[in-house]
Amino acid sequence: MLTVQNLTKKFSNGKGIFDVSFSVKKGEVFGFLGPNGAGKSTTIRHIMGFMKPDQGYVKVNGLDTWQKQGEVQKYIGYLPGEIAFIEGMTGKGFLDFMAELQGVRDLSKRNELIERLQFDINTPIRKMSKGMKQKVGIVAAFMHDPEVIILDEPTSGLDPLMQKVFIEIVLEEKAKGKTFLMSSHSFPEIERTCDRAAIIKDGIVIAVKDIHELQSMQRKLFEVTFNNKEDAKTFLNSSLQIDSYEGNRVRVAIQGNYDSFIEETAKYHVRNIAIFTQNLEDVFMNYYDRSGASK
Amino acid sequence: MNFSLYKQMMKVNMKGVMNYAVGAAFYIFLVVWIYPSMEKTAKPLNDMLNAMPAGMTKAFNLQNGFGSFESFISGEFYGLLFTLIVSIFCVMIPTQLMAKLVDQGSMAYLLSTPTTRGKVAFTQASVFLTGLFLISAITTACGILGVRIFIDANSFHADRFIQLNLAAFALFVALGGISFLVSSLSNDEKKAMGTSGMIIFGFYSLDIIGKISEKVDWLRDFTIFTLYKPAEVVNGKGDLLQNCIILFAVGLIAFIVSILVFRKRDLPL
Ligand SMILES: Nc1ncnc2c1ncn2[C@@H]1O[C@H](COP(=O)(O)OP(=O)(O)OP(=O)(O)O)[C@@H](O)[C@H]1O
Ligand SMILES: [Mg+2]
Repeated sequence: MLTVQNLTKKFSNGKGIFDVSFSVKKGEVFGFLGPNGAGKSTTIRHIMGFMKPDQGYVKVNGLDTWQKQGEVQKYIGYLPGEIAFIEGMTGKGFLDFMAELQGVRDLSKRNELIERLQFDINTPIRKMSKGMKQKVGIVAAFMHDPEVIILDEPTSGLDPLMQKVFIEIVLEEKAKGKTFLMSSHSFPEIERTCDRAAIIKDGIVIAVKDIHELQSMQRKLFEVTFNNKEDAKTFLNSSLQIDSYEGNRVRVAIQGNYDSFIEETAKYHVRNIAIFTQNLEDVFMNYYDRSGASK
Repeated sequence: MNFSLYKQMMKVNMKGVMNYAVGAAFYIFLVVWIYPSMEKTAKPLNDMLNAMPAGMTKAFNLQNGFGSFESFISGEFYGLLFTLIVSIFCVMIPTQLMAKLVDQGSMAYLLSTPTTRGKVAFTQASVFLTGLFLISAITTACGILGVRIFIDANSFHADRFIQLNLAAFALFVALGGISFLVSSLSNDEKKAMGTSGMIIFGFYSLDIIGKISEKVDWLRDFTIFTLYKPAEVVNGKGDLLQNCIILFAVGLIAFIVSILVFRKRDLPL
């Protein structure tokens, strides 16, 4: 449904994206993960046909997005990463305008989305909060019922409740066979919706993986507080990977080996266990280190 | 042409267009209104003009003196005020219609819908031309109305007056086209405005300097303002038709090139 092939774009400052390739099947939700400045938005701008690739191409539904600009857009819904609306419009004015441009007659889908995202469409856009603007953008990306939906950091600005609503909407559309590509910084967000994800850093795709594989790659830190220091001391001698310790508190790094962790800790009286999920940056670094070491 | 976009853009820019139109209309009323009192003092004023260096009077399109209404309005209004007001319009609006939307990013929304870049650029050009036409039409109408109200209209050559407005319109189509081209090439609103402002007022300055001093008369070969001669138009001299055709052609080519480059341009949206 969506193919990115050897896509390369070098900006004058040397930054850019280099030889990016992946493809998204019909009905699949594909995550695009990477830290700030990794090249997620740049790749998406090529998918939308805004930028001209130095090399490579993007095809949606078999159509080259640079050459068939204006035609591929029939199949695409798009939420930009940095939302900028035309000045002097209300939410409703903007959505009416977009509906006209998209050629949508049936407004039932739009009204349903507005209902679910709960916002007042009669507010002038310039008076809207970040989250409200994001909601307007989400409605504009979904309301014409496109086959492929491209979302650049869709949940930024949404509160946890609305993030949940958003994820529900994505899953429903997915069930209807829609294809998604969404970029994000946050692994948990991708985890809940995506089938596969690509990890990009400094313009280079370092991995395209099944989401379960990525999950198992993710390292978690558990901070175990023991009843007494002696127990903590003996615990240090176990085969588990110890991150750090202080008094009766020990931090253990776990990556998939939950069973041995539970067995080991069950031997002692435990006062508390706290979990620290690794942030995305660390997952990358971890991945980097591992792939670097294996070479 | 995309009519939804046209409608929306007219709505957004109408207020701006009307500000310029009202400004121009106000000034032409003012100029028409003060003319009768100027006419009485025309003799001493003309003597004063004659005493000034020829280059000076020519530079400000005053070589016709203040003797007749048409020569007065061609010098005072079409030679100076109107040119300046609408030149500013020709810098501002094309910048807002293209470069600003790219700079802000709202162009991304337009291009994410099934409309082509060519259509978007064509529509935006039409919005500019509609605005320019409205300003010109309102000014012409107010000029004629002003003459009816303030002046004994018997000696008024309405045909010459309309030709004068046509000549001005042709100049602004050319200027607007150039500025639209700059705007279509630009990712930065401020830079686009600065560049087209420099080009247009550079042209204007070349024309004035060339007129003031005979020695640098050749400077006028490098500016399209040379093709706009309000003083000659009201005298029925000069080649109005040819000048207008060249100016319209410059504008047309500029708009076409704008659309072509915008279709193939990298957009950092
Ligand atoms: N038009 C441009 N000209 C020059 N450099 C650019 C341009 N657009 C992007 N870049 C650079 O390319 C790199 C990738 O930017 P991009 O916006 O794709 O990152 P991103 O992954 O979307 O980051 P974020 O998570 O912050 O949105 C950055 O270093 C950015 O500065
Ligand atoms: Mg981005």
